[in-house]
Amino acid sequence: MNSDFQDLLELSEFYILSQKYEEAIKILKKAQKINNREPKLYYNFGIAYEALNERDKAINCFRQALSLDPNFQSAQEHLNKLIKG
Amino acid sequence: MKQFVVIGLGRFGSSIARALAEKNFEVLAMDRNEERVKEIEDTVSQAVVVDATDEKALKELGIKEFDTAVVSIGENIEASIMVTLLLKELGVKQVIVKARNELHAKILEKVGADRIIFPEKEMGEKLAESLASPKIFDYIELSTEYGILEMIAPKKFCDKTLSELNLREKFGISVMAIKRKMPYTKPDGSPDFEEKIIIGPGGADEILQGDILVLLGKYKDLNRIQKL
Repeated sequence: MNSDFQDLLELSEFYILSQKYEEAIKILKKAQKINNREPKLYYNFGIAYEALNERDKAINCFRQALSLDPNFQSAQEHLNKLIKG
Repeated sequence: MKQFVVIGLGRFGSSIARALAEKNFEVLAMDRNEERVKEIEDTVSQAVVVDATDEKALKELGIKEFDTAVVSIGENIEASIMVTLLLKELGVKQVIVKARNELHAKILEKVGADRIIFPEKEMGEKLAESLASPKIFDYIELSTEYGILEMIAPKKFCDKTLSELNLREKFGISVMAIKRKMPYTKPDGSPDFEEKIIIGPGGADEILQGDILVLLGKYKDLNRIQKL
């Protein structure tokens, strides 16, 4: 994995853990320009959008993560929860 | 003493019947639904299970002796029009009717309603409309004046404490609870969160991005706050 991409992904996780979800999304958008085929990227996007109560965007992101990795269990769990709710 | 008859004991009708009874007016409350009648029978002078579109039943109840009738049949427009017409024909002096929409109001006027009210408009219509908004999660009417609203915290509120926001002073609104997503790192290193509810938050509690606020206040104030 490209190290810049990895750094950005980690930075997005730092922002998510600091409850700065909008900042996390900005960073993830930057990361997406480097690599848009990484399921974790879309998972983090999904978490940040879900935390901001942007349900539709979160659903799309978890779906995207699952299309890249159909065995991504956490993404599946979040998607199931959002669809049920 | 003034006598009132309240027909239709949904949320609006029953709250009017209660308010009138509290002011010691004589209130006859009626509904087709037995449960609704039972709920209010201890509060008002008389509560009966009756179909108000039944002219004979209305006559037997001595409806024409009442000064004012409040017709609050929300769900059935046809019944509300028929009842209004019957009440006027029976000689009730003032008939106040709850209308659901403009067309309903026009017909009510034609059949003789003395006053038409849009309670939803007056107390909560705008809120109800905004239920369609993704910002609003839930809304509960507590009375004709007060409600509880669950909404996404406006951006302006983020990173401010409740005492800085001073919603009680500025809007007359109390924050009953904050629903928050608490992030954590899973064993595999990926982020996740769990939902936590802070009940009765204090002045030092800060509003964070993504928080959902559970607010209690008057409808007009809740309307104001969601426009922020």
